[in-house]
Amino acid sequence: MRKHKRVLALTMAAAMGLSLLAGCGSSTQQQAGAGSETAASSAAESTASAEGATTGAEDNVIRVGVVCSMTGGSAIYGEGAQNAVDMAVEEINAGDSGYKIEIVNNGQVADDAKDAKQAMNAYNLLMAEQPEAIVGSFFSSVTLPMATQAAADNMLLLATGATNVDVTLKGDTIFRNCFIDPYQGKMAALFVKDKGIGKVAVIYAKDDDYSNGLKDAFVENCEANGIEVTYTGECMTTDTDYSSQAAQAVASGAEFLYYPCFLDTVPLLVGAARNAGFTGIIMGGDGWDGADTTGLEDKFDNCYFTNHYSSEDTSPAVVNFVQKFTEKYGTESLNACAALYYDAMYMLVQAAENGGGTDTASLVKGMKGMSFSGVGGDITLDENGDAIKSIVFNTYVDGQGKWAETLDAEGKVAASAE
Amino acid sequence: MTLSLFIQSLINGLNQGAIYALIALGYTMVYGIIRMINFAHGDFIMIGSYTLFYTIPLMVNAGMPAWLAVVVAIAVCAVLGVLVETFAYRPVRKAGSMSALITALAMSIFLQNLAMVLFGAKPHNVQAIFSLPTITVGGVSLPLNVLLTIAIGLVIMLGMQLFVKGTKLGKAMRAVPQDKDASTLMGINVNRIITLTFCIGSSLAAVAALMYCATYPRVTTDMGSMMGMKAFIAAVLGGIGIIPGAMLGGILVGLIEIFVKLFAPGWYEAVTYGTLIVILLVKPSGILGKNTGEKV
Amino acid sequence: MTKQRKIAYLLNAVGVVVVFALLMALFAAGVFGTSTTYIQGICTTACYTVIMVASLNLVVGFMGEFSLGHAGFVSVGAYVSAIVSGALAGKGLSDLGLFLVAILVGGLAAGIMGVLVGIPALRLRGDYLAIVTMAFAEIIRVCFCNFSITGGGKTLSGILKLSTFPRAFWVMVVCVTFMYMFVRSKFGRTVQAIREDYIAASAAGINVTFYKVLTFAVSSFFAGIGGAIYAHYMTAMIPTNFNFNYSAELLSEVIIGGTGSLTGSIIGAVFLSALPEAMRQFATYRMLCYSVVLVLVMLFRPGGIFGRWEFSLTRALGRLVHRRATAKKGV
Repeated sequence: MRKHKRVLALTMAAAMGLSLLAGCGSSTQQQAGAGSETAASSAAESTASAEGATTGAEDNVIRVGVVCSMTGGSAIYGEGAQNAVDMAVEEINAGDSGYKIEIVNNGQVADDAKDAKQAMNAYNLLMAEQPEAIVGSFFSSVTLPMATQAAADNMLLLATGATNVDVTLKGDTIFRNCFIDPYQGKMAALFVKDKGIGKVAVIYAKDDDYSNGLKDAFVENCEANGIEVTYTGECMTTDTDYSSQAAQAVASGAEFLYYPCFLDTVPLLVGAARNAGFTGIIMGGDGWDGADTTGLEDKFDNCYFTNHYSSEDTSPAVVNFVQKFTEKYGTESLNACAALYYDAMYMLVQAAENGGGTDTASLVKGMKGMSFSGVGGDITLDENGDAIKSIVFNTYVDGQGKWAETLDAEGKVAASAE
Repeated sequence: MTLSLFIQSLINGLNQGAIYALIALGYTMVYGIIRMINFAHGDFIMIGSYTLFYTIPLMVNAGMPAWLAVVVAIAVCAVLGVLVETFAYRPVRKAGSMSALITALAMSIFLQNLAMVLFGAKPHNVQAIFSLPTITVGGVSLPLNVLLTIAIGLVIMLGMQLFVKGTKLGKAMRAVPQDKDASTLMGINVNRIITLTFCIGSSLAAVAALMYCATYPRVTTDMGSMMGMKAFIAAVLGGIGIIPGAMLGGILVGLIEIFVKLFAPGWYEAVTYGTLIVILLVKPSGILGKNTGEKV
Repeated sequence: MTKQRKIAYLLNAVGVVVVFALLMALFAAGVFGTSTTYIQGICTTACYTVIMVASLNLVVGFMGEFSLGHAGFVSVGAYVSAIVSGALAGKGLSDLGLFLVAILVGGLAAGIMGVLVGIPALRLRGDYLAIVTMAFAEIIRVCFCNFSITGGGKTLSGILKLSTFPRAFWVMVVCVTFMYMFVRSKFGRTVQAIREDYIAASAAGINVTFYKVLTFAVSSFFAGIGGAIYAHYMTAMIPTNFNFNYSAELLSEVIIGGTGSLTGSIIGAVFLSALPEAMRQFATYRMLCYSVVLVLVMLFRPGGIFGRWEFSLTRALGRLVHRRATAKKGV
């Protein structure tokens, strides 16, 4: 008889579980609150002043939530983002723009672990502190779920590295300060055409948005410009062996190899390609920035990558960023991701100036069609919220990144080292 | 496909396969003795690789050959293996294979995140370890590294085989998985044998790390999971717990992957796993494994 | 139906409704303040994770076999349901109708996949079965990376946001009820007999393969439903989300909760869904702490938090009443 009594007891247990979770969640909140009384109190202040803003009182503090991958295989980007954000906020708050930035979540970048589930939780966690804008994330796969939610919440989302075209199409409040995939791929194809190369090979990571997007755009533009794509090889983001793809690229007679992937596999690919006897140009996208070249200096000769800035650039924004960052945090996490998060902070300040307020609506208003110049060059945001900007081609000399040329948004050479 | 591309692929496959084989040897050793899938084995290799990354410059500065750094790596890995075994695996051993599996998974996450905290998240390049030349004949290049890796693999395989089959300790090692209680009655200290197994298995991970870094000179905190997985497949393919099987399985997986990449690179993982499924269904104990009937 | 059973049904139904009402009231009253969406998000995550974990427990706990490839079935459910809801959107179905159709089709697709994988794989046992399930899941992932309909390795985005917390909650209640009934049924008892001794079971005339494949298919079906809710909550997904790590995460939730206890699965899923969130204050040390907790639970509760124990509301209430009665007598 006892077992009859238990019929459906389980569903009850399910309910109990949920109530436990609810308790659990709220205790987390309390702990987090207790851990940062200052943040909590300032949060209270700014909520109060945000309410006051409607009556005309302006607190001039932009409250920003930041998301990036702090753990897992891509944690190097999160490290760079945290450092860059810290640096930018310190500068802005000490500066005379009249606006201050406050990073919610105790100044911490919320971790998405490059996983959609955790990204959603991170986004909701930040939203709980009622920020006026959210910056992030770096990967399209985790930014897309956040963008859909942000559009529904009418929250300003400034994506940094999410290059998938769909991201900004999710809503009017979604912007980005990085290239979109088609643009970077097209520029690489124009570069090939410029060099008068007729045969190219592509190796790309099959299981990644960025890599797929760049490859598609590159191949399309190559074909449009009469450049033959002799070999298209696929790999996975977790691969270590590229000998097979490299050997085939060489066998196909290509003079140029495009490898649009992230910095962790770049040394392996370049090593494998050079070992297979490939002597032509190897090129990548902004994912290459920050790749380690130690021990492979000679192999990185004749390699190029497109980027938002060049560490050699003499414009004051870049010089200031590179110098300060290196002094404070070393070069470990100095990469394109750090630069994009750094710029994002300044873009928000400018948006506040343009829009005339620090509430989300004014920031969105200020963002629309903004022209901004920062570390990542001169940016204009188009009607979708995508960044139209110049692109920098970098090469390597003795393993050090070296500026080669800068193309403007139409693909004309704006400046060149030669 | 031209002949030169075929031969080049053969060499590339052997190169990759030899690395898999080296890692699989350690895997199979541990599984053979304690019947536990040690998911953290790949992460031992990661720790070994970071040790190499930090000690090689010291070795070179001291005027010693770079590969001697492996001695330090072996020591670090062996200590780590024994620590993990003593503090994490031993307490849950009696609770059954499922708890052991979860503990191993948790150790894998732990080691990866510990490495991130200790060494930072940036991927690093490891300095060149061997300065072996590459022989190029008719468009085919053969790095001598490949031969060295295979040679080391064979030596380890033979050494382990002799040790397990020939010595008294090896006999004890073979007795433990058959019947723990009977082994204890025979005067075998089961805990000590298992600790020793871990010690040897982890040292092998350090040697594998050396050859891994010589071929793919880059360390990241999550490098172990992928390599560990592939080596694990290799060990199962050859017959898990069987030492020559690991060698065979490793080379086989390496060759399959490289040749599939010639025709359908996007599908190579599917083909590797597909081969594994087919072999397990046809011969559940692996290529070199013995099929044992079950007692009623 | 006996009287006690009727009472038990009623009691549990009331219990579930009370908890749901309580949660909704808490959300509506804004007790969590600005964190309401955050908590609600975690609760939704917990709901579909409960379905996935409980379904995996059918295989691991009740059939006694490892599966390291549950994420594969989850992904089949997620992708198929996303494609179905995308195709049916704007065809006159209400949101709720669309949601129900999508999760059902997702579940069925995963169930069929379960049969296809189960027939060859379940000839093996123990570690070997675990490896083969892992291999199948990886193959499924590679397929999704290569098919253009699933985004071809890119993120499939633009899935309708149909999973709300109340929907996820009620689907979870229905799923867990069905799983509970399956375990308690003739089939469930047969499966447990196979777990205890499959040779004796087959000698007693039980078609071992049939029952194993059946359990596997039922488990995959519910995994698919969990995946479908996931897809319509996230609105975007990439095949790499469903890699080996996700399978491992689900398996650890089963084992932490207690194999063979659906109560354990529920608590395990809720506990491990909330744990990474509770660890956020540790920033980069977050996953380190997570793994330490995992090891500690295994060290101190090697059989999982609940072992094979099941919670029973009627029993708990019965005890409470009984205790009061004896207390009165004592006075």
